[in-house]
Amino acid sequence: MKKCMVISLVSVSLMLALVYVKVGQAATRIGPKVRFAPLHIYLDSGNKSLAAYQFELKATAGKIKIVGVEGGQHAAFTEAPYYDPAALANDRIIIAAFNTGRELPKGRTRIATIHLQIIGDAEPDYELKLVVAADADAKEIPAEISFEKGE
Amino acid sequence: MTEKKGHFDEDLDLRVSPKLSEDLDTLFKPQFSVPPEVDRAIMDQANRRLVQRHWRHRIFRHISLWRVAAAAAVIIFAFSLNLTQKPGPTTTSSFIVEAQAVDIDRNGRVDILDAFKLARHIESAGLTGKSLSPVSSTGQALEKRGWDINGDGLVDRNDVDLVALSAVRLDKHKGVL
Repeated sequence: MKKCMVISLVSVSLMLALVYVKVGQAATRIGPKVRFAPLHIYLDSGNKSLAAYQFELKATAGKIKIVGVEGGQHAAFTEAPYYDPAALANDRIIIAAFNTGRELPKGRTRIATIHLQIIGDAEPDYELKLVVAADADAKEIPAEISFEKGE
Repeated sequence: MTEKKGHFDEDLDLRVSPKLSEDLDTLFKPQFSVPPEVDRAIMDQANRRLVQRHWRHRIFRHISLWRVAAAAAVIIFAFSLNLTQKPGPTTTSSFIVEAQAVDIDRNGRVDILDAFKLARHIESAGLTGKSLSPVSSTGQALEKRGWDINGDGLVDRNDVDLVALSAVRLDKHKGVL
């Protein structure tokens, strides 16, 4: 009889503990403030035409989730670039695109826009690294990458 | 509440008078005597049956409790797995795994330039937007170089896409930053 009581009590306690944890998780899920904002990525290839690029973005402060990726400003890069779908709902992404045409952008151009979900009040910050940029002959060119926070 | 209710006769004597007791005894006394062995046998049988029933009841209760405990354990386990959360999309197709090994420009890393160069090769073959048939000399040349990534016998835009997707895979790049 005692044994049965112990088993029952342990089971009930475990269930209660689990329910408590789940309720806590749900509360924290609802709790923090959430907003959405775009992040515009620019690449300056100087006087060289830009035919291909690849970069990596990672959040270094704040809590974000990537919710979507959009193409760039120039006609050569308006289509959505390549990225791993696993990056969605993540805080890190690798984005790349190329164009084999002749009409290519020069100078500073917006190459992509990343749509973000920002969780909490902390202002997020990002680390951006250009992996490669190339001209129409597929030769690597020096270029400068930067981002602008949108509203 | 503490008030005594008059109509309840609490002092009523409930004892049976010896006379009544004697009369009842005479009236209901068995007409024959039961031998003590029979009496004992009946008592033994009754005891055995009661003991059996008791043990059956205890075993049944034990089994029921273990069932409840097992069901609770299963529920807890199911909750801990969090079945409501589905895994995020992954790009683990066998083709992409193959594409990992494709380094078109042989520079030791797979990036967007590999896809770009492959696309340029296809375009320079004069078949922009079309597939290269393996029976054509150009198609055979490209296939021989191992650029038919998806193994469909054609070197086309689908192969380029696979190389590009391989270049942007998160698990391959453990972080260049």
